[in-house]
Amino acid sequence: MADMEPRMSRPRACVATGVAAGLAAHLGWPVFVVRAAFVVTSLAAGAGLLLYLWLWALTPWEPGEARPSRRAPVAWLLVSASALVLAAAWLGGGGLAVGVDDGSALRWWLGAVFAGIGLAVASGAWATFIDRPEPERGPRHELTIRLVATVLLVITALALVFGESAHWHPVPTFAAALAAVLGIGLVYAPTLVTAWRELTDERTKRIREEQRSEIAAHLHDSVLQTLALIQNRAGASSEVARIARAQERELRDWLFDGEAPADSDLGTDLRDFAAALEIDYPVTIDVVAVGSSSERASGEVAAAAREAMLNAARHAGGEVSVYVEASPEAVEVFVRDRGAGFDLSEVPSDRLGVRQSIIGRMRRAGGSGEVRVGAGGGTEVRLRFPAERAGLENTRG
Amino acid sequence: MAETSVRVVIVDDHSIFRSGLKADLDASIEVVGEAHDVESAVLAVTDAAPDVVLLDVHLPGVGVAAGTSGGAEVMRRAAASVPGTRFLALSVSDKAEDVVGVIRAGARGYITKGSSGADVSRAVHAVASGDAVFSPKLAGFVLDAFGAAVGETAAASDELDRLSAREQEVMRLIARGYAYKEVAAELFISTKTVESHVSAVLRKLQLSSRHELTAWANARRLL
Repeated sequence: MADMEPRMSRPRACVATGVAAGLAAHLGWPVFVVRAAFVVTSLAAGAGLLLYLWLWALTPWEPGEARPSRRAPVAWLLVSASALVLAAAWLGGGGLAVGVDDGSALRWWLGAVFAGIGLAVASGAWATFIDRPEPERGPRHELTIRLVATVLLVITALALVFGESAHWHPVPTFAAALAAVLGIGLVYAPTLVTAWRELTDERTKRIREEQRSEIAAHLHDSVLQTLALIQNRAGASSEVARIARAQERELRDWLFDGEAPADSDLGTDLRDFAAALEIDYPVTIDVVAVGSSSERASGEVAAAAREAMLNAARHAGGEVSVYVEASPEAVEVFVRDRGAGFDLSEVPSDRLGVRQSIIGRMRRAGGSGEVRVGAGGGTEVRLRFPAERAGLENTRG
Repeated sequence: MAETSVRVVIVDDHSIFRSGLKADLDASIEVVGEAHDVESAVLAVTDAAPDVVLLDVHLPGVGVAAGTSGGAEVMRRAAASVPGTRFLALSVSDKAEDVVGVIRAGARGYITKGSSGADVSRAVHAVASGDAVFSPKLAGFVLDAFGAAVGETAAASDELDRLSAREQEVMRLIARGYAYKEVAAELFISTKTVESHVSAVLRKLQLSSRHELTAWANARRLL
């Protein structure tokens, strides 16, 4: 690899395309020599121009991240050249009216008109495809170039249709006028294509959405009802009911929630965790979330809440309620089960589960946790995390 | 309470569900009619004038405008002719969106279709004796919608757009999974008082013009 000649590349900060600079660097020549060589060889039936275009198409940018930037206002140069050529053709066109039909004058005149139209279209294309992505030029510049090119082409078409040449050479003049009109179309074609594509995308999306809601309505009336019935008849903690409930939840998420948010908050996270627990343990978990929590699912509160839910599912089973409330002062999570309940002071100190992973965790994070017997029996774990702490944790994490 | 027999009409478009529910209900509940869509429901309810109507939220029927629920439509058409009848909404989902619409249309509460026969029977008795039936999810929604989480508290007891401090406490405990009896024990008040708080919240939910509620309902064309 090291022995290989460095590949020719174009510098990212260039004048127009970077071809001359890249070639000069590659050959070790001064840049102006390369430029002069291109101009001179172009005079020989356009060989230099062809070589230039060929190199432009095939030479890659030099490696790097920077967006290519161009110093020369190429679009303006192209549109100015177009104006000059068309003006020259208009002035020179007077000679045609005399009607001296030697053919070569007509050919020159037609060539100039088509070249002018081509340059105007090229300026529009350059502005759209090359200048527009550059931040210092952008859509405004594109619009200006397009307007100037349009004006040029409109004037050309009108001058051709109402000019003298239409009288003497109707067919080539008409062809040229047609080319000018088509040129206007070409200048705006990219925008029209984009708009059309957006329109069809929009329509496809809407149709898909309609279809989805139709399917949702149908499944709602049939499958979800059946799943509810199965749960109802099978008894809350039976295997069948559990599977039906998990299926119902999955189907409901798919039907009604659409795209899941990328960054889940505490309530969403605990709901997902509850769904997972319901599959593994004979338990139904209701998660109710109030207020919009800024608490992230990755935080200590979420970890402690998950631990409490796992405990409830493992040791109590049956029905478990989880309540999350996010107020400006604090985030609170309550996990309540209907199991036999236990007194924390009776738990042997070598059993670290509750003490360490729930209460200890909350204390270390700056919040508080407590475990108590609920009013109607069962256990309730209460977690509280002050908001200013939550804020700190969020900025840190 | 369970001794007095309650007359019930079951409205659901799935016959399997109706028969399943019928078989599961307590002996103290007498099913006096069944219906499968809006029209037959209005007929059955006006005909039987039951104590409680178990009403499916999603009910097919002619003249149900898109976005409104068939259940709400039944209440609109039938409620005036049977003033003694109370409606208990049955929903396949426990999403607040499915439920607040029927509550605002006049239902005294709602239960999910996954509930056991015993639960449904309890709810029917509660509604029959004039109480409201709130699930933890609905309590959570109420707390959210009335701004309880951000510390909004009603200053006057007749204020419709915010909850009083006591109502918030009751709703919080219900959201935490407490039964009315447990809420009463927790707050050292009587079960009757808890029930009156819940009824007051239900009334606010039905009558409030609070922006969140109306904007939410308007977006779904429930009003």
